[in-house]
Amino acid sequence: MSSHYEAPIRRPLVVGNKSYHDVTVDVARPVEGRANKLWWTVFTIALAAFLWGLGCMTYTITTGIGTWGLNKTVGWAWDITNFVWWVGIGHAGTLISAVLLLFRQKWRMAINRSAEAMTIFSVMQAGLFPIIHMGRPWLGYWVLPIPNQFGSLWVNFNSPLLWDVFAISTYLSVSLVFWWTGLLPDFAMIRDRAVTPFTKKIYSIVSFGWSGRAKDWQRFEEVSLVLAGLATPLVLSVHTIVSFDFATSIVPGWHTTILPPYFVAGAIFSGFAMVNTLLIIMRKVSNLEEYITVQHIELMNIVIMITGSIVGTAYITELFIAWYSGVEYEQYAFLNRATGPYWWSYWLMMSCNVFSPQFMWSKKLRTSITFSFIISIVVNIGMWFERFVIIVTSLHRDYLPSSWTMFQPTFVDAGIFIGTIGFFFVLFLLYSRSFPVIAQAEVKTILKTSGDNFKRARAQQDNNSDNH
Amino acid sequence: MKSLYKIIVLVGLSIMVTSCHDNAKPNYQFFPNMYESVGYETYSESDAFKNGKEGQLVPDGAIKRGFVPYEIPNTPEGYAMSKSMTSPLDSISSNPEKGKELYNIYCAICHGEKGNGKGKLVEREKFLGVPSYKDREVTSGSIFHVVTYGLNSMGSHANQLSQEERWQVADYVLKLRSEL
Repeated sequence: MSSHYEAPIRRPLVVGNKSYHDVTVDVARPVEGRANKLWWTVFTIALAAFLWGLGCMTYTITTGIGTWGLNKTVGWAWDITNFVWWVGIGHAGTLISAVLLLFRQKWRMAINRSAEAMTIFSVMQAGLFPIIHMGRPWLGYWVLPIPNQFGSLWVNFNSPLLWDVFAISTYLSVSLVFWWTGLLPDFAMIRDRAVTPFTKKIYSIVSFGWSGRAKDWQRFEEVSLVLAGLATPLVLSVHTIVSFDFATSIVPGWHTTILPPYFVAGAIFSGFAMVNTLLIIMRKVSNLEEYITVQHIELMNIVIMITGSIVGTAYITELFIAWYSGVEYEQYAFLNRATGPYWWSYWLMMSCNVFSPQFMWSKKLRTSITFSFIISIVVNIGMWFERFVIIVTSLHRDYLPSSWTMFQPTFVDAGIFIGTIGFFFVLFLLYSRSFPVIAQAEVKTILKTSGDNFKRARAQQDNNSDNH
Repeated sequence: MKSLYKIIVLVGLSIMVTSCHDNAKPNYQFFPNMYESVGYETYSESDAFKNGKEGQLVPDGAIKRGFVPYEIPNTPEGYAMSKSMTSPLDSISSNPEKGKELYNIYCAICHGEKGNGKGKLVEREKFLGVPSYKDREVTSGSIFHVVTYGLNSMGSHANQLSQEERWQVADYVLKLRSEL
């Protein structure tokens, strides 16, 4: 152990004197145990919300988009707001597992599994909106360039909405593969601990016969690194492409070159907030407080603070450029955001996104779990309103005053949004009881460098060697 | 071997799924959103009309723009009167090529391409008694009259040929007659 050097300044990432076996037991406990009453209650609520949303989606598709609050001027509102919101949330998972892997951040290991699950589940929610907001969703397959009988009629590759199709589907599939390869050793662990033939069977199917040989591990590491290298540009490009839906338009308030990085920053911002929301609950209910420590929450809060500040900078940049541009339409677009009929949503967005993350400068606040939880929710409310403000306030008043109007959502708009939240939690709750929610194989690699017991032993040894 | 079996099953399934089309019936449609016309299409049937047909008759005496009614009646006297009528076609609107084309389409089947009364139907003896143009005293006006109303076994061709086209055909018939 003396050959190992680690700065003593680093705090332990795993506390509670854990051994390898303790990690296994702690991670496997939620999978092997039975769901309690609380889980069933929450699951029932989520399922009910999901079914209600499903009903609203069916109603929309069978009756028409006119059941929503859209009008001729505001053709995008809650649908695309929710889409961008969910895609944004989905960005933190890949960021945690890919970008933090490239930066060799060990603290990612306790949270990456759940963050990736969150990515997958929220991208699935996001993926619903491009389909259900179509007037004719049954012709949705026309967005794919498939050879056909219309003289091989193809899609126009100039539309960012088509890029969205490629971006989201690639993002979902790469994230899914990345997630699943990471799961193999953990599924194998559950498989090897399984006591009933049924769970044995299931987990031996999903673990693909992982046997943990040196060669497997070597390739596993390489694949993870390559996928992380691929997923990082993907994370940046996916939300960039989503931002192109607006940035490539000619609508004042949308047509800005700052949107791509600003949307990505916002995505990381809201994604980390969602990870924080989920993990603060998960560490409590799944008894994982010794793996998802206050330090993890603090580090996520720092990321929220940084990206929140980037978003704040982007807001100020937009305002400055609007003033500096001398384009009266753009100036009016921002004046309308701040003082128009949707002023409340703008100021809600501003206060949630710009001011609330600044509390994280205080160590006392960012290490407070309750405060982090509240802020993480506030951030996601703020980021929802960011998309709402960008979309609706830019559309409802643009070039022709004769086309100025208002937007009012209907219960179907809201019902579908609630439905996706329900669906998300249905998936996440099922996940949390059937998947190893912490990448135990990864945590075991840092246990001897970052476990509190090992850190203590090292400090002891160092003291001894200093004394001789 | 296992994958071959799977491929066979897949191919078999896709053949089964795609072989339900019956040639005696229109094929299955996938979401026929704008396949059926909302408006009334020409020749279509609809209960909105008394006889169920979209093609309703124009009220008697109505004259559409760009149309001059033919006033000589369909009687022996009318036929005699038509003989003195002259072609309104001038040097610009007379079109011998078009007259020939129309003649070969609508007339030659009975009258023959030369106008000698030896058309395909006569040669095949489907019916007889088509005279040669040489045997009849016809003028441009009487040809127009006969093409408009028909005469004896011949029916009206006013449905197929417009007024101008009938005059063009009449000119061509006179040309054929002069060559007989």
